[in-house]
Amino acid sequence: MAGILAPGLGVLAHLERLENQTSRSRKRSEAQAQERVLGTKIQKLRHLRDDPRAALWHRRGSVKACIANVEPNRTVEVNEQEALEEKLENVKAILQAYHFTGLSGKLTSRGVCVCINTAFEGNLLDSYFVDLVIQKPLRIHHHSVPVFIPLEEIAAKYLQTNIQHFLFSLCEYLNAYSGRKYQADRLQSDFAALLTGPLQRNPLCNLLSFTYKLDPGGQSFPFCARLLYKDLTATLPTDVTVTCQGGEALSTSWEEQRASHETLFCTKPLHQVFASFARREKLEMSLVS
Amino acid sequence: MDAELAEERVLQAEIAAVRRACENPPAPWEEKSRVQKSFQAIHQFTSEGWKSSKDLKNQLGHLESELSFLSTLTGINIRNYSRQTEDLTSTEMAEKSIRKVLQRHRLSGNCHMVTFQLEFQILEIQNKERLSSAVTDLNIIMEPTECSELSEFVSRNFGRARWLTPIIPAFWEADAGRSQEDRKDLFMFFRSLHFFVEWFEYRKRTFKHFKEKYPDAVYLSEGPSSCSMGIRSASRPGFELVIVWRIQIDEDGKVFPKLDLLTKVPQRALELDKNRAIEAAPLSFRTLLGVLGIEAALESLIKSLCAEENN
Repeated sequence: MAGILAPGLGVLAHLERLENQTSRSRKRSEAQAQERVLGTKIQKLRHLRDDPRAALWHRRGSVKACIANVEPNRTVEVNEQEALEEKLENVKAILQAYHFTGLSGKLTSRGVCVCINTAFEGNLLDSYFVDLVIQKPLRIHHHSVPVFIPLEEIAAKYLQTNIQHFLFSLCEYLNAYSGRKYQADRLQSDFAALLTGPLQRNPLCNLLSFTYKLDPGGQSFPFCARLLYKDLTATLPTDVTVTCQGGEALSTSWEEQRASHETLFCTKPLHQVFASFARREKLEMSLVS
Repeated sequence: MDAELAEERVLQAEIAAVRRACENPPAPWEEKSRVQKSFQAIHQFTSEGWKSSKDLKNQLGHLESELSFLSTLTGINIRNYSRQTEDLTSTEMAEKSIRKVLQRHRLSGNCHMVTFQLEFQILEIQNKERLSSAVTDLNIIMEPTECSELSEFVSRNFGRARWLTPIIPAFWEADAGRSQEDRKDLFMFFRSLHFFVEWFEYRKRTFKHFKEKYPDAVYLSEGPSSCSMGIRSASRPGFELVIVWRIQIDEDGKVFPKLDLLTKVPQRALELDKNRAIEAAPLSFRTLLGVLGIEAALESLIKSLCAEENN
């Protein structure tokens, strides 16, 4: 109606307005339609995505659940096995460690095989074994103890009543024997230069007899030593006699030396005494030259 | 609208991804094969795995019983042990086919009421002819116990035992110059430990026995584990006999008992004692010990003091 009032201009404007209106509304409806289409498309797409996704997830989930069911059992069992293995290693190690107490053993079908280790001054020496049959009465099946060790005596005293005492007592004897043997061996091997004759010894190594000189090749008289180890569980002698060959005209200095040697042999292990002789000799030589 | 377009694009991409995921069976298939493998593993486990685990359990049981048997046999119970090995072979040594290995050991355990902890090193030298092993270092740590004599022995002979604190290890100078006190005698420690504990338990048993047999006459001021036992008589107040029983360990690790008698008598009795019997008592006691042995000697002492009560 406004157009009639403003002819020409108004009509065009009106027509424009009307066109705009229509196009706008058309656009709007188009847009709306598009939106609706898009909306449904999106819905469809969503379905397209979600369903297989869900299926996939479901499958994955079930697989995971399977694995989850399987794996904890497996890990539990693996853990158990590992724990068992560790414990086993631990126990094996402790069994080995018994060697360091000097006494160790292994169970046998009949009883136990006890292994006695010996040492002297930290040096690990021979081992001996005693195979015991666990019956009433306890008896020794076989052993590697040397004949001169009073095994039967010790067994008679202690084997039936106090087996620990038996074992440790045997340990004492064997360790002492090993120690004496070690000293005699070292004397023979390391200090042969100071010995003027062969070292005489008995198998039990508790009676030693030898002659030695403080300065080999020198003018001094050789000394004659006799060591008796009455106590079989000791590594030091109980009786020592040192005499000087060429016994006449012993000056006081020789007498002093002789007496001091006797004391030395009673208080220190044999090879250590000779080591001190050798050191003294070297010192004197270096002083002289 | 833009938002929706954007969403449409995103959705398209996601769909593509899902399609690809569905088409690539490896992913789920992989996992399935993994599952199969695990099942196989379990089956193996079941057939040989249960067997080996049972085996393991059997083995463990067997070894543990062996361990407890050994512990009863020796009286020494080792609870922990560990070791480290170090190869010290230098190239020159290897050329001469000499091998030098240092092993560090640590073990702890107990022997009855005595707990110990040892750390020691063993040096092994292997040349063509023989293998020599030597203990090159020894530390002993003991917990403070009522056995003062044992701790004295350990500190005297092994030079370095201290309460619960590890000590600076002494180094072993090779050969000459080594002092007698630097004992590395590992086995001697255990031997002496065993004999000491044996005497200790014997002393405890003996004291307890007399306390039970003569509850009025015998008194143990510090309990049965102490080293002294007193004898009193109600009818003769003022008289007291105290027996001191020490367990001594000498330098060589020998364990022996040493008993002494202490007398307490009133002044008047001393004056009346013309034969000096009381003065000679300790010496007579020693002779008595030699003749009758410990238990009989103690019993006779108790009986002599409490003669009237026994009637």
